[in-house]
Amino acid sequence: MSRVGRNFVIAYIVLVGLPLVGLAGVLRSGRHLKAPVSVDGVWKIEAQNSSPGNHLCNAVSNLFNSPLLISQSGRSFEISSKGNPATSGVLDDKNLTSSMWTGSYSACGNGQITLAAVVDPTAEPRSLTGQLSFPGCQSCAPVDFRAVRQPKVQSGGGH
Amino acid sequence: MPNLFTLTLQLAVVLAVCRVVGELFRLIHQPKVVGEMFAGIMLGPSLLGWLAPHFSAYLFPPSSLGFLNALSQVGVVVFMFLVGLNINPGELKKESHAAVLTSHVSITAPFVLAAFLALYLYPRLSDESVAFTSFALFMGSAMSITAFPVLARILTERNMLGSRLGTVAIACAAVDDVTGWCILAYIVVLIRSAHSATSIWITIGGILVFGLAMIHGVRRLLRGFERSYKKKGALSENLMALMLLLVLASSLLTEYLGIHLLFGAFLMGAIMPKEHQFVRYVLDRFETITVTLLLPLFFAFTGLRTNVGLVKGPQMWMYCGLIILVATAGKLGGSTLASWLSGMPLREAAGLGTLMNTRGLMELVILNIGLDIGVISPALFSMMVLMALFTTFMTTPVLRLICGKEIEESASSKMVTRPASAPAMNLDNSESFVA
Repeated sequence: MSRVGRNFVIAYIVLVGLPLVGLAGVLRSGRHLKAPVSVDGVWKIEAQNSSPGNHLCNAVSNLFNSPLLISQSGRSFEISSKGNPATSGVLDDKNLTSSMWTGSYSACGNGQITLAAVVDPTAEPRSLTGQLSFPGCQSCAPVDFRAVRQPKVQSGGGH
Repeated sequence: MPNLFTLTLQLAVVLAVCRVVGELFRLIHQPKVVGEMFAGIMLGPSLLGWLAPHFSAYLFPPSSLGFLNALSQVGVVVFMFLVGLNINPGELKKESHAAVLTSHVSITAPFVLAAFLALYLYPRLSDESVAFTSFALFMGSAMSITAFPVLARILTERNMLGSRLGTVAIACAAVDDVTGWCILAYIVVLIRSAHSATSIWITIGGILVFGLAMIHGVRRLLRGFERSYKKKGALSENLMALMLLLVLASSLLTEYLGIHLLFGAFLMGAIMPKEHQFVRYVLDRFETITVTLLLPLFFAFTGLRTNVGLVKGPQMWMYCGLIILVATAGKLGGSTLASWLSGMPLREAAGLGTLMNTRGLMELVILNIGLDIGVISPALFSMMVLMALFTTFMTTPVLRLICGKEIEESASSKMVTRPASAPAMNLDNSESFVA
């Protein structure tokens, strides 16, 4: 083998071969990493304690009439539903918290809704149980809710 | 049914904004495609949606985005066919040891660094529905890609296409793209097979049979196009339609097999005959409508999915900065080091590293696939789009800073051999960025 050829082989081993060994090591060690629990997707939400006497304001009724969309990025997420602007929230282990503005100043007080929920990662389909409260409305009682994640629609591919 | 008024309005707005911003970017010596990428971001929630949310909701109602996406995907399918058409695998075999080493290092260095970065980002920006292996491999392939078409555009504009630097850069970018797409295909199969009843081995077997049939069977049949072109100096409308049909059939097959339809379009382009005049003729036929109308729609759709607002707080911006740093260090640093060790003067090597760091449109295509299959989160998608914009934007000024006019002047005097894919380049058409 010529000197140039030998140098090429050495350079190739050092600059390509060794990093690939490193890559294998990274992939191996990364398997033990834990990422936040998944809450991403479309959720069907239902009120648990809405008695006839407990009138829900329009914005909250809308919330229960349309699916809830959660777009997750690690520990933070964006939550939105039809008619309500998207708001951000934080996921701490299995606990979700978010503060939503409905834009409605009528029966919900100043329109602020606080969502606090716990995700059950063992349930299949995955479920959320929690409470919606209205910090700007003294007379509004909190509403308990339960949400179930809808199956993902495959975006094509596969057979 | 799409609302035709909304769709037509969207087309008009996207076209107008992309043209204007593209031209403005040319004034600051940037390729037009960089301006169009920025225009797409401007039309999304990062700017228009932030400044005028009601107008944005009127212009791009969620119900209309499916049609916009479908149209833009058609454009990307044709674009990938043209990218494949520009790559000449036969010519790549002739490249020197330096080019082989540089191209392989320019893949492995950013890939490995991205995998290391994935160790840090996975618990912070992903979730348990994504396996670490898929996440790390995706980050690696997204960071190791080079925007072959944008790079060719920059080299053409700076009269460097025939220089040693240009030749090696084009060859390395072609190798990078083919390798990057192969890795991405593997990741897509890996993720989709997890949700599919079909065994991964059946999928891989199907892909291998398809690939071999294309390379050893269909490729020979495609020579008929070249023969017909040589005989008549043009291709009939029927033959052009047949070519388009083959692209669509190949795309559908790869989609059916479980990898993305873009792979089929790319492969069909790669196995097309590579005679210079023929390639240029086909490019001329397909390019105008793809580049002028359909790709701006893709930029707009990407922009609509990019929300810079998700990158909020010092921590998120630190992640974004880290991504840009790692991507640049891996690609620019790795390519520079390898080409310098291969005997290229340091300044020229740094120029090559800068060119290889161009990610452009190819990165956006890959990132959209990643977001579609759920391997990256919306915030990470936005950060990676910013990285793509940053690394593409920096190419021209950094190249000018490093190389000055010396290399360009020596390049124009050393126009001896055309690089791997140069014959296919549409050098006269300043509008083109596919070639």
